[in-house]
Amino acid sequence: MRLYKPLIKKECLEEIFSARGAALYLVVIGVLSVFSLLLVSNTELSLLENAQAVYMMSAIVMTLALLIIVIRGGDGFAGERERETLETLLITPVSPAEIAVAKLMGLLFTWLIVFVLSMPYLWAVGSTGQNLLSALVYLFAAGTFLVIIFGGFMLALSVRMKTFKGALSIGLTAFLLSGSPILLGSSLRQSAVGRVVDLINPFATALNMLDSVVVDSLGLLFQIMPLAILVFYTIAAIWVLSMTIRRVEL
Amino acid sequence: MKRSYVLYLTLLILLIIAGNSYADGTPFIQVSLQAPKSALKMGDRPVFKGVVKNLGRHSLKGLVVYLSLVSLKPGHEHPVDLEDWSAQKAVRIDQLAPGETHRQGWPMRLIQAGRFGVALTVVDPLENRPVVSDLVPFDIHPKPTIASSRILLVAVGEPLLLLISFGLFHWIRTRSARLREAVQI
Repeated sequence: MRLYKPLIKKECLEEIFSARGAALYLVVIGVLSVFSLLLVSNTELSLLENAQAVYMMSAIVMTLALLIIVIRGGDGFAGERERETLETLLITPVSPAEIAVAKLMGLLFTWLIVFVLSMPYLWAVGSTGQNLLSALVYLFAAGTFLVIIFGGFMLALSVRMKTFKGALSIGLTAFLLSGSPILLGSSLRQSAVGRVVDLINPFATALNMLDSVVVDSLGLLFQIMPLAILVFYTIAAIWVLSMTIRRVEL
Repeated sequence: MKRSYVLYLTLLILLIIAGNSYADGTPFIQVSLQAPKSALKMGDRPVFKGVVKNLGRHSLKGLVVYLSLVSLKPGHEHPVDLEDWSAQKAVRIDQLAPGETHRQGWPMRLIQAGRFGVALTVVDPLENRPVVSDLVPFDIHPKPTIASSRILLVAVGEPLLLLISFGLFHWIRTRSARLREAVQI
């Protein structure tokens, strides 16, 4: 148990102080800055209602965070295996399940940093409009659920995959698939098939929830179903990870 | 006398036939929509007033009334999805007695600038022809909503701040490592 806490600390701090972590965060704020500048310079975008701009910004924040989670989650065990540090980690008194928890905590910490970095952008875009506070609350909640879902599945995948590349390619494919309904546009998603696909896709569910909260100003009562779906996937991800972590191969 | 009698009778029959055919083509529902009189700009929430009146002799049941919005921008005319514009897209009128009038406010959130047209359609389940109101054209004036000065401050300031922080941290770390080495020597 004593080693458990330093492991979490290591997983969290490694991301801030490593060059790779810093580069990822710089990319995140670089993308957010570019989008913000587009909002100012583009005539069509500058006329957007604040709530709409906040929703778009929130969607970008969530997408960027999940992309980092997929990369970091894939690196979780497969990266340790490639760097030949997994064996050292496994012979410590910390159980594999505790290592997985520490890595998941590291991913959640990454999300926290991305969220904090994105807050000034969301404020700049939406402080004169409506629902900024709701947007922040729901973005944080939905993002946390999604990070556990994607992070849990990616860590489980990296336990099974021999290489980081393999875990990453499968993870990125799954990430693109989960993002594909969003690319279809609202008209196609209004069909029965589109709605079902949206409902079973946690990423789309989270985005639809944000849309209904920020743009349509709908209350908590309307968010029960999306929240239930996200909770279901979160439990499923934790269960899959706990099952996979029982047998870690070197 | 006999001739004029026949003429009157023929005229009467013709009038009855014409009247019946006119009644067949005339809907029993009258629908109208009225736009707010004030100038509209983005972000406003005007209420369009819709009126549905039963002109017939019988009650109408299960009428469905819905709003349609079209963009009238020259060269880019297209129907507009009301999802983000209006919370209420349609209403159902359970029963409308003869001569009765149903008034309904249609609030709309204006999220885009340009020239638009809105119309109200009433569908009677027993009729195969819906009744549509006149198209009500209206203009939405643009209103920039994004505060450019605030965005510029964040968009340029935050990356710079982060770069300086990382640079400073790296410099302190390197310097302390060198100091430690010097102390050891």
